[in-house]
Parts: sequence; structure tokens; C-alpha cells
Amino acid sequence: MFWHIYKYRLKCLTRSRQMMFWTLLFPIILGTLFYMAFSNLSSVEAFSHIKIAVVDNEEFQKDTNFREALQSASDPDNGDGSLFDVTYTSKEEGESLLMGGNIEGIIYFNNGIKLILKESGLNQTIIKEFIDHYKQTLSTVSAIINRNPEAMQKGLIESSTSHKDFLKEASAGSSAPDTTVNYFYTLIAMACLYGSFFGLNEVTVNQANLSAQAARANMSPVHKLRVFIYSMTAAATIQLVNIGILLLYLTVILHINFGTQITYILLTCIAGTVTGVTFGAFIGSIVKGGEGIKIGILIAGSMTMSFLSGMMYDKMKYIVNTKVPVLGYLNPANLITDCFYSLYYYDTYTVFFTDILFLILLTAFFSLLTYLQIRRQKYASL
Amino acid sequence: MQVYKVYFKIIKSNIIQLMIYVFVFLFLAVILSSTYSDPIKTDFTSAKVNIAFINEDEDSILLNNLKDYLESHVNFIALPHNEKSLQDALFFRQIEYIVRIPKGFTKSFLKSEKVSVNITKVPESTSGIYMDTLINKYLNTARIYIESENDMTEKELIENMNTDLSESAEIVMLNSAVENDTYEKCAYYYNYLSYSLFAILILGVSAVMMVFHNKDLKKRNNCSPLKLKCMNFQMILGNFSFTMVTWILMIASSFILYGSFMFTSKGLLFIMNSFVFTLPALSISYLIGNLIKSKNAMSAVSNVVSLGTCFISGVFVPQAHLGDTVLKLASFTPTYWYVKTNNAIADSIILNTDTLMPLFYNMLIMVGFAVAVLVVTLVIIKQKRGLA
Repeated sequence: MFWHIYKYRLKCLTRSRQMMFWTLLFPIILGTLFYMAFSNLSSVEAFSHIKIAVVDNEEFQKDTNFREALQSASDPDNGDGSLFDVTYTSKEEGESLLMGGNIEGIIYFNNGIKLILKESGLNQTIIKEFIDHYKQTLSTVSAIINRNPEAMQKGLIESSTSHKDFLKEASAGSSAPDTTVNYFYTLIAMACLYGSFFGLNEVTVNQANLSAQAARANMSPVHKLRVFIYSMTAAATIQLVNIGILLLYLTVILHINFGTQITYILLTCIAGTVTGVTFGAFIGSIVKGGEGIKIGILIAGSMTMSFLSGMMYDKMKYIVNTKVPVLGYLNPANLITDCFYSLYYYDTYTVFFTDILFLILLTAFFSLLTYLQIRRQKYASL
Repeated sequence: MQVYKVYFKIIKSNIIQLMIYVFVFLFLAVILSSTYSDPIKTDFTSAKVNIAFINEDEDSILLNNLKDYLESHVNFIALPHNEKSLQDALFFRQIEYIVRIPKGFTKSFLKSEKVSVNITKVPESTSGIYMDTLINKYLNTARIYIESENDMTEKELIENMNTDLSESAEIVMLNSAVENDTYEKCAYYYNYLSYSLFAILILGVSAVMMVFHNKDLKKRNNCSPLKLKCMNFQMILGNFSFTMVTWILMIASSFILYGSFMFTSKGLLFIMNSFVFTLPALSISYLIGNLIKSKNAMSAVSNVVSLGTCFISGVFVPQAHLGDTVLKLASFTPTYWYVKTNNAIADSIILNTDTLMPLFYNMLIMVGFAVAVLVVTLVIIKQKRGLA
């Protein structure tokens, strides 16, 4: 009996082109769009050499110390100390480069060092910081000589020109804090919730008051709960395959980093799928009204939940989790996203298992209410 | 005008689906305008990096002074000092840099012993490099004093350092034009507009088309005494009226949000650009309306086309942040040219023939799209008629 119902439900569901589009094709298309739109995003914050111009005049030539400092700051072999990409020009030429947006600032010697800028920004601040640093070191050296003229002989020059690195870097988590991965995690969460369409469909074809097919099926001597469970299993199977295909597409074709914990990743997919499908059954059974309204609720619901887990605005997840943590635990989209996020980023599994636990609790809640709603409904006449 | 009336009856029966997009758009527009806007800035302002500063050492003069010094270059973000909240904050860029001063740092540092500050940053980031430079500079300045003078007290050291560190470069701002972020917000508003406008047009136009393409209905219409020419004319009129109403509805709230700015030459350019954009949008909607057959396909296509063009054309992610290949691909959509023009309007400092010509050129491309797609659609319609 199981195989019979299971097989036919599989056939029915896969042949519904509309449902297959929303649960399989749409997430893949959206993933591709995310990929196209975000693939360049992390390079925006990445440092690249700041293009500057230096006005090559007499005063600049005279200042050998500054020239040396600039030389070392623009030397590509200088590792982290290498900051600038320098062009030597006349003042007019430099200004036209600046206005045309080809460089970010001009260093100009005219009774002291001046910095010509067009706008404010982080790169501009770094250029300013470089000049500040130079002037500050000069001030330090002259202050020391004023206090103690013998310092010159005691290696002050070496001391002031040598640069010591006082920083020790520790990485933030087990992977780089790459904001864009979260978008793809929310995408899987959304796809999982779209599985609710399948769940809804199963309720519709098993509740005698919702469709003619269900009315007929209810006539058969098989226990209704069994039929329903078999159908739900079919729904979950298809949705799991869909999620699997999406996951493969994201990892193999688009090379999105999901970390290395394959077992846990699959566990998340299964938990997410079951939550999504039971969510659909839950809405299908407790909401009174036509299928249109139920689908509307599912779409609006899954979109809102995806939004709150950061699908449209990545910081949304952070805002919810710090300001209203309860909402984060009740939102299945956030829990699924958070599972992937914690596998990717944390070294520990506490958060991951908490999320999985909450997903299971939500599934249990949805299933229980669905069961209570649809059990023992008998009709004298249909 | 029966056909014209029917057109709007069909629109009315689909109004809920269409209004969803209007509300989504209005929601985004209001959020956009309520975000904090910087006052008008004409002089240089240093960029500030958000950091977390954790001092596990004593509250020494040296470290307190470091904090004071950093104050003018960073924003200190107060966070709970547990690992998870720091990690999360860094991932979502609530902070971009974490400084941790280890225990006993000051004592060892003043004795010139080898010590280091623990830091965590976004790898390879510009803000990370900037912060590295700042902290290293502060500590190196202190080091030079300590290495050269043995008899200095911590207080003397700080006093000397602060005199040095107050030295700064003289900045000349070349561009004295008033920067106003209304332009930018307005450009965002109009960029987002393309998403909703496109989706609404596709849904509305194809909903009507589908009714008229119903086989039985078509046969019945064909034997009505109304001339085909007249019917088509009414359909076209319907399409244009619907487009106009949608467009006016979408731009209306910009007058509320940005007020008198909309009547400046830049504001008018935004309006004009959005109007030109409605032409290819309508044209593409008409094509789609002629191609699809079911209501389910309608919502799928409208979602994919409107979302897809917006994603690759720089509506959701600015064009400057998109890759070259993506942009090349996007240049085959009118949305790309529309967004490009909006950005150019916002960025231009002065408006003269040199700056205006490229804008009109972009608009001409959009008109070109409209004509090209329309021609294709007409060919398809003709072929279909031949088959019937």
C-alpha cells in the first residue's frame, strides 16, 4: 500500500509544472542572479593600491626624506606597507586626472605638503594618514633632539625609520567573514519553505472538503492517517531532491562555500525540508478559505521569513538576532540559514545543534496541529 | 469603446496582485527616505571605521591615550565581550576590526620587551589596512621615545606623543560644489521604481492579453461588427493608458518624499528618464503577453524577468559593484541603460550639453529597445494569425 500511494503521489507532484518551477527552477534562477550580482561584492571592500599623483616640483625633489617614505609606500614588494600607485605629474595634469576620477588625490608641495582631494572617503583618509604620519615622525625626531641632542649618535635615525609591527592577527572564525555567502544560505532556506506548496497540496488532496479527489480517496478503506503520512513522505522526498539539486548547483557550479561538514549540511537540508513541508500542511489545514488564500499566505509568509533572515538585506539577520532573538528562534528560515552560517563560520557546534533542535520542535508543532485538525473528520455526505 | 472598458475591467480583477508590487515599492521608498542623511558637507571628513576595543590589560595612561587617539578615527562599538557576538558583528560588518590588548601589555611595552596587540579584521580589506597603520603608528611613535630616552615618565611620554600626533596634512578640496545626498536617494528611488514598474506592466498587460487570446473569445470577437482596426486601436489605447496610470502612480510618491527637488532640472531629468523607460517596458510586456498562455506562467515570467533584469542591471546592487561580464550581459536589457542614466544624473555636478548628451543617448537606446521589441512582437502576431 505504501509504495502504491507513494509512487502515485510522486508522479502527481512532479507533473505539476507550476510547483516544480517554484520549488526547483525559481531558486536556481535566483541563485544565479545572486551569483551574478554578488560575485564582485567582496572585492569592493578589498584593498587595492590607491592611485595618487605627486606634483614633481623643486620643493618635492628637495625633500629626500619624504621621497624615500613615498618610495617605500609605493613599492609593490613591500607587502602590507605597499599602499600607493604613484604617477608623477604637473599640477594641472594631476588636477585633470583627479577630476576625471583616475586618481584619488594629489600630493602637492607648496610651502609644505598639501593634499588635494575631490571627495571624502576611506582611501582619501589613508592618503591623509600617510602624510600625517610623515609629519608626525618628523615632529617626534625633532622633539627628541631638542631634549637630548646626543640622541642622534645613539641611533635615533635608525630607530625612527625602522618600522615595527606590533600586531598579531587572529582569524575571526573557521572561514573568512564573507557576507555574500549568507545570501545563498537564505536562498536555500527560502527553497525549503517553498516546499510548503507540496505540503499544502497533500492536505488538499487528502481533506474531503477541499477537493473532489480527496472526497474519493476518503471513500477507500485505507486509514486516512496512513494515506496522509505516505503522501507527505512523497512530498518530502521530492522537496529533498529539489533542495539537493539546488545545493549541488550552488556548490559545484557556482562554487559557494558551505564549509566542509557534509553530514551536517545534509542534516540541515533534511530538517529544513521537513519543516517546510509540514509548514505547508499546517497552513493548509488550519486556514479556512480557498487555495488562493492559502498560497498567498505561504508566499507572503516565506518571503517575510526570508527577509528576516537576510535575503534582501544581509544585516537584517544580525539585527533580528541581537534585538529580538526570540523571533530568530521561531523563524524556520532564520534557523536554516543559521545552521549553514554556523557550520561555515563557527568552530563549535552548539549553535548548530540548537538550531536543529528548534527546527525539530517547529516540525513537531506543525505536525501535531495538522494532525489534530484533520483527524476524525467524517462526512455523512459529500 | 467596449474593448477599452474591458481592458480596465480585467485590470481591476487583477488589482490585488498588481497592488502588491506598488506596496512593496512604497515600503522600500519610505525606508529609503527615512534613513539618516548626513548634513551637507563641503570640507574633508575623515572616514571612520567601526571597531571593538577590548582591554584586558590595566587602564594605563598609554592605553587610555591610545583610545583617545583612536576616538577621532574610529567609532567604538560596545558589544558583549563574548566570542560569538564579536564574530557575528564582524561577519555582518557591524564592526570591521577587533583590537584586543593582552594582559600585561603596558608594562612589557614600556620595558621595550617584545609584545603585540591581538587583532581580528576582515581579511584584505581597506579598513583593516587603515586600522593596522593607525595602531602601529601610535605604538611606533611611543617606541621611538622609549628607545631614545630612558628617563621619561609615562605621562611625559604621552604629552610628547600627543604634540606629535596632532600634526596633520593640509587638505585642499578641489570640488567646492555642495554635495547633497538627495540626488543619490532620488536615484535609488528611481532605480527601484524600475523593478515594480516592470513587474506591474508585465502582469497587467499579459493578464489582458491572455483574456483576448482565449480561442473562443477571439473567434467571437472576430465576427463582431467592430472593425479589427478599431479594436486594435482601443487595445493600444488601453495599453498606453494603463502604462501612464502606473507610471504616474509610481512617480507620485517621489513628489511627497523629495518635494521641491523634483522640480529642479535634475528632478525633471529623473522623471523624463523613467518615462522613457516605460516604453521598452511596455513593449517587452506586450511581447510576453503575446507569448504566454497560462496564468501560472504569467507570475513566473513576470517575477523572473523583473527580478532578473534588476539584479544584473544594478538596481539592487549598484552598477559599480558588478563584474564586467555581468554588466555586458546587462547592457542587452533596457533596465541597464535606465539605471545608468539615473546614476549619471545623480553624479553630474553641472548640467550642460557635454553632460546631457550621453543621457539623451542612453534614452535613445531605450527607445530603440522599445521599437525593436515591438517589431518582433508584431511579426510574431502576424505569423500566429497566418496559422490560425
